[in-house]
Amino acid sequence: MSAPLLALRGVRKVFGTRVLFEIDRLSVDEGGAYVLVGPNGSGKTSLMRILAGLDREAGGGMDFRGAPAAFTSYPERLRRSIVYVHQHPYLFHTSLRHNLEYGLRCRGVPAAERARRVDEAIAWAGLEPRRATPPAKLSGGEKQRAALARARALEPELLLLDEPTSNLDRDGRAQTLALLAQLRDERRTVIVACHDQEIIGLAGFTRLRLDDGRIALQSG
Amino acid sequence: MDLLEPTRQAFALLFGGDPELWQIIWLSLWVSVAAIALVAAPSIALGFLLAKKRFPGQRAAVVLVQALLSFPTVVIGLVIYLLLSRRGPLGSFDLLFTPWAIMVGYMVIAFPILVVFTIAAVQGADPRVYETARCLGAGRFAASLTTLREVRFGILAAVVNGFGRAISEVGCAIMVGGNIAGLTRNIPTAIALETTKGDFAQGIALGFVLMVVALGVNVLLALLQGQGGLR
Ligand SMILES: Nc1ncnc2c1ncn2[C@@H]1O[C@H](COP(=O)(O)OP(=O)(O)OP(=O)(O)O)[C@@H](O)[C@H]1O
Ligand SMILES: [Mg+2]
Repeated sequence: MSAPLLALRGVRKVFGTRVLFEIDRLSVDEGGAYVLVGPNGSGKTSLMRILAGLDREAGGGMDFRGAPAAFTSYPERLRRSIVYVHQHPYLFHTSLRHNLEYGLRCRGVPAAERARRVDEAIAWAGLEPRRATPPAKLSGGEKQRAALARARALEPELLLLDEPTSNLDRDGRAQTLALLAQLRDERRTVIVACHDQEIIGLAGFTRLRLDDGRIALQSG
Repeated sequence: MDLLEPTRQAFALLFGGDPELWQIIWLSLWVSVAAIALVAAPSIALGFLLAKKRFPGQRAAVVLVQALLSFPTVVIGLVIYLLLSRRGPLGSFDLLFTPWAIMVGYMVIAFPILVVFTIAAVQGADPRVYETARCLGAGRFAASLTTLREVRFGILAAVVNGFGRAISEVGCAIMVGGNIAGLTRNIPTAIALETTKGDFAQGIALGFVLMVVALGVNVLLALLQGQGGLR
């Protein structure tokens, strides 16, 4: 067995005197697709934000590809490896193209390569007819797909998606679901927080259940 | 008093290209533009830090900048006068009663406006902007610039307001400029001091220009906002 991509160690989140969760150990395998389930307020969003380095007050740390990191001093290089997508993703008020190439620019990808990957991302998300639409004018489902494509184009080693189908209608959900299945087939390591039964039921997704301050691997 | 005749004369001066009049207008414009150009970047940076960072004394700093906003410009002029006057600490630069002195005054006057407007704009920004930029791999500085770009119309409003305040203020420009014909006489000082000497036509012409400038920059701002009005 290969070493896990990610191993959490003693992740602890408290609000004042309330302990939200305490996770002694949890491993995430490379190429695995996970759903993170649990009741409202169990801490799914909080956990993902910690993993993405958006919460510097959390206790504990993780080994990423064997390299240890504490959440209070989140290493900058991990931001290149782990990408978190908000429940309601934010698209910059520029253009769709600019949004899709933002992270590529941060990584110093040359212009020609950027253009190729942006075109691919637009096609992947089925947004060709929306190329010229200002991002703020996109529908909820289109925004969600754009944000997924924006994150995927960076080829992160770990993709964290927070309720990617909330607030979407049937068509929007169906399209986003198809993209999730694709991510799974592409063997991207992805964790999806959700309540959506259809996502939870997707074949090939391992279920992580966060409840009452504990996390557990759940089968079937 | 007959207003028609001086108004007719005012337009004759304006459109006849009266050199004295246009020299006054030119001075006002370049000094204001230069002052804003110099003070904008540091003020916006400071506004961003005051809006985003938590550090000891931050509240006090914000209150101080806000207080500066309501300082009478004539007092600002007085302080700069004392600093620049021959016996003042900066007297050796010989800046008093030059356009440079007015420019310094304008920078001091525009500074709190720029900072306070920037704070409001940045605090109004969606917290997801900065987080999204960071998650996509931007460093702290790049993510800050992205945040500023997302609130660009608020920042533009800051610049326009700073400019509008500078070009129209009179107290400081009189104190440190001295309204010297051909050297430091600008639009507001000319209106304030020359009109009372009976030069109505010039006063009306300059007042007209000032209003056109104010209207112009605000129309420009509205147009830009309309064009990018995606939110
Ligand atoms: N800044 C805060 N101060 C105090 N409590 C907070 C704070 N932020 C979040 N919480 C609490 O932490 C708990 C976990 O929130 P979180 O958003 O992580 O839950 P979640 O599992 O994502 O829920 P949902 O399914 O509704 O999205 C909630 O009870 C919330 O009220
Ligand atoms: Mg949540």
